[in-house]
Amino acid sequence: MQSEKLTQMLLEQSRQIINQAEKLQSYDLNTLTWKENEISWSILECLEHLNLYGDFYLPQIENEIKNSTIKTDIEFNSGILGNYFAKSMLPKEKLNKMKTFKDKNPLNAKLDKSIIDRFINQQIKLLDLLNQSRNVSLNKVKIKTSISSFIKLRLGDTFQFFINHIIRHLSQIDRIQVAMKNT
Amino acid sequence: MKEIIELSDNIIIIQRNEFLKVKGSIDTNLYYIESGSVRIFVLDEYQEQTIRFGYKKNLIVSLDSFLTGKPSDLFIQAIKKTVIKVVSKQQIEKFLETESNRNLWMKILENLVIQQMEREIDILTNSPKERYERVLKRSPQLFQEIPNRHIANYLRMSAETLSRLKKS
Repeated sequence: MQSEKLTQMLLEQSRQIINQAEKLQSYDLNTLTWKENEISWSILECLEHLNLYGDFYLPQIENEIKNSTIKTDIEFNSGILGNYFAKSMLPKEKLNKMKTFKDKNPLNAKLDKSIIDRFINQQIKLLDLLNQSRNVSLNKVKIKTSISSFIKLRLGDTFQFFINHIIRHLSQIDRIQVAMKNT
Repeated sequence: MKEIIELSDNIIIIQRNEFLKVKGSIDTNLYYIESGSVRIFVLDEYQEQTIRFGYKKNLIVSLDSFLTGKPSDLFIQAIKKTVIKVVSKQQIEKFLETESNRNLWMKILENLVIQQMEREIDILTNSPKERYERVLKRSPQLFQEIPNRHIANYLRMSAETLSRLKKS
């Protein structure tokens, strides 16, 4: 698809993500730290998990954009791997449970509302990076994944993968709220 | 103006702090505020700078994006829960097919240009007291609708300075 169309779509998804996070600001700490059982995550743990991913990806994206000398492409073409990763992140009808990497596991991290602020700040940063990405090629700029530094994805795929991952966990946050209501 | 508002077939509600628009998006809608309030701001090196407010009975729009169809750096955020009637650019373009409607539209744009010129002078005015007085004279309603800390940012002064000016 056209790079600009992709960027517009990602900006709109980011806007919705920020709005969902702003809603969480009004919840009390008990609600935000409620867990269905010992090993399931609370709302704050979901957000902290996302923050850890942001810590990994956002600085790298910023650096690669800054150092890129190749000019922008009108058309963005998804890489095979990138496309697969991005799509597999989306929450599906019948949710496939995924194992979390140990260093991205938020269980029992220090949990308070500052986690929400941190998350929102990362989304604002993401908006900024999406805007900056208009000046570079979404195809040629490559970003290392957190899975392995040998696996690099196109910037366009990385943005999609990153955002779909957030959407996945926001769905999880919705489900937590439903579960809480039903207890 | 009510002829334009009547074109709307879409009402949206945004909660406090939710974004109607973020930096970089293309937004060619015209928004009429039924109730609530919003601020329009830009990020200047991660500092927010409010450039305009909208409260009940106001029309707000990212005019740059509306006119050019290109991305705009403006953010539009709800200060409190806000109910908005949305008019799309396509609806406006259809509306502008008649001459009398075009005249109406001209008047709205002329009004906006005058407001922009006043605002330009605001920003170039050195004295905080004068900046405050200009806006107070022009839009006294603002001080009923919008919290002080946002007005202070708009006036490019600290909240303390604004408090002091209001008291004197």
